[in-house]
Amino acid sequence: MAEELGILVGALLTLAIFSLLYRDNPFYRAAEHLLVGVSAGYYVVHYFYAAVIRKFTVPVFQQGEWWLLPGGLLGLLIFFRLRPRTAWLSRYAIAFYVAAWSGYLIPSVLQERVLTQIAGTIPDPAAAAPWALAMSLLVLVGVASILVYFYFSAAHTGALGRISRVGILFLMAGFGASFGYTVMGRVSLLIGRFQYLFEDLPRALGRL
Amino acid sequence: MKRTGPVLLGFVIGMLMLVQHFTPDRWIAERYNNILDWKQVVFGLTLILGVVSLFLYHWRRIARREEGWRYSLLTVGGLAFMIGAAILFTPSRGPYPWMFEHVQAPMQSTLFALLAFYVASASYRAFRARNLHAALLLSAGVIVMLGRVPLGEAIGLNHISTWILDYPNLAAKRGVMIGVGLGMTATAIKIILGIERTYLGRGA
Amino acid sequence: MPAPLAAGRPPRRAGRLAALGRVDRRWIFLLVGASVALPLLRPLHLPIGTSREARAYHAEVERLQPGDEMIFSFDYEPDTMAELDPMSLATLRHAFSRGVRVIALTNYAGGPGIALRILGQAASEHERQYGRDYVFLGYNPDYSATMLRMGESIRSTFPTDHFGTPSAELPLLREVDRYADIELLVTVTASALAEYWVIWAGGRFGQRIVAGNTAIQAVLIYPYYQTGQLAGFLGGLKGAAEYERLIGRDGAGVRGMDAQSVAHLLIVCFIVLGNIGYFAQRRSARAAGDAARDGEA
Repeated sequence: MAEELGILVGALLTLAIFSLLYRDNPFYRAAEHLLVGVSAGYYVVHYFYAAVIRKFTVPVFQQGEWWLLPGGLLGLLIFFRLRPRTAWLSRYAIAFYVAAWSGYLIPSVLQERVLTQIAGTIPDPAAAAPWALAMSLLVLVGVASILVYFYFSAAHTGALGRISRVGILFLMAGFGASFGYTVMGRVSLLIGRFQYLFEDLPRALGRL
Repeated sequence: MKRTGPVLLGFVIGMLMLVQHFTPDRWIAERYNNILDWKQVVFGLTLILGVVSLFLYHWRRIARREEGWRYSLLTVGGLAFMIGAAILFTPSRGPYPWMFEHVQAPMQSTLFALLAFYVASASYRAFRARNLHAALLLSAGVIVMLGRVPLGEAIGLNHISTWILDYPNLAAKRGVMIGVGLGMTATAIKIILGIERTYLGRGA
Repeated sequence: MPAPLAAGRPPRRAGRLAALGRVDRRWIFLLVGASVALPLLRPLHLPIGTSREARAYHAEVERLQPGDEMIFSFDYEPDTMAELDPMSLATLRHAFSRGVRVIALTNYAGGPGIALRILGQAASEHERQYGRDYVFLGYNPDYSATMLRMGESIRSTFPTDHFGTPSAELPLLREVDRYADIELLVTVTASALAEYWVIWAGGRFGQRIVAGNTAIQAVLIYPYYQTGQLAGFLGGLKGAAEYERLIGRDGAGVRGMDAQSVAHLLIVCFIVLGNIGYFAQRRSARAAGDAARDGEA
């Protein structure tokens, strides 16, 4: 019963959000604000459980893992942001977080996003069939010309300008592909909502 | 204390996290694990601060009876209800998961589904083959759009769309990826060395 | 001598075509809605092909043996569940049907509700037992730290499961504790998390990874598939439909494909019509400009 009633409520709220398509209206605004409140409430419970209980109070106070204490203290410093006079204290937490992330990011990102990608761009004449080799060369030309396009330390004139114009052509093809996939993604989300209204809702109403 | 302290802390922590990648030293490995654990706690509490800020914003709107304050009642009410439900009934059963499944999930997914309408409208109104570059973007978009669905597969467009995705698209994404990767690395080095401080806020 | 009015006046047909650009957008919305609704109500049953990437994703799950372990990360929230739920369900059905043991988690606070629903459905269909055949570790803040820490110890990263049971008490987690014990990592994601799993679990610990992505993300990860950093991937609802076909069990992905086709065709028609209107408008503006110049002359 609660499940069926829930689907009915969900369908009404779905229609309230869809009503924006006609024009802005109080039903849409009410649904939007309710969504913000409910989702913030949902998230904060998980944040609290995951960060405070599971990663801090349970290990520290039940399992004696006292070395987690500095993490908790650093985390509490972030709340000093709420008062302008003490906001500078939160910088310690932010500096800690951002610097730690920066530290382990450097070698991994260089390896996986840069070096491995460069290696994947170099054609292997010994292994590839003629068509594959031609396509590898095409990718090499594309990547190199795009990197030239993003090189801003010299004016894009002469040979540099011509190469960067080739880069723009590859970028446009890539943006086109992104656009095609974006349309696909958005339509899929709409299909999901219509499946909810045309499949789940009648089933639930039938059971009520 | 207000400026140098955080930058110094950032330098020490950043260098330690960088160095651990290149050394098997046990002491450093243990500190690295400690820092990863602390980082998760700090991140979780930062997210909680975000929710507290959201609450305070709407609370002030209600207290001052600002325009639209009645809508803020719904936000604050929804937030309070979810926290109360999780405390009274536990997060695993009762109204808390029900509200997620039947209030949050339908609305959140519908809000994103609206974009299908707007993307169609934008395609009609703004997607113009004004020049060679726009025509190239438009052609690639149309071919990929049709080639990735059964209708396009029936007329053989999937082969062309696969070619676009596998080669020109791959080159475009990789070029951007390498550029961004180098940019991320440079920014990370500047953060550790204290050259980049804007993330600490005004006056840092 | 009178100006040659007939030559300078914009042709009537061009004027009508130019009016195409001034259609109320709510008509467009209505057509989009109809293009999705009608094929759902009256399916066309168009044949669905499978892509090389989806076959690679399927092969990775297919090669797992009974008793092997898989990490399954629900890295999305309700906004994209229409695209990603069918992938998650199909993958878990496939894994459970092969006797694969699943360690599930999520890097998004909005993920637990989705994960519990889909895990529960797939596990009950294949009579899998919680704790022995699958576990749900829940949400952990900070995805990069979580991914790196799991390489050292999953039990330390998640001291308890989602329900508060200590990880060390779960039979499945007593046997596996790091990536080295895991055969395959599956991330189903609406963001760049596939990329981050590649960087931190794949690059640093050599974990084999496949990814289910929203369509928007899928187009960005071709470079990782080409280098072998990703062993396979699914892209959008079409990817889900392909996977459903590969495991021989149709679901929401396959059911949505007709609507997807018709809606795409409609949007292509919009682009064509919009461009016809644009060029007609440009031509009539040019013709009007010529007429004005002739008049001045």
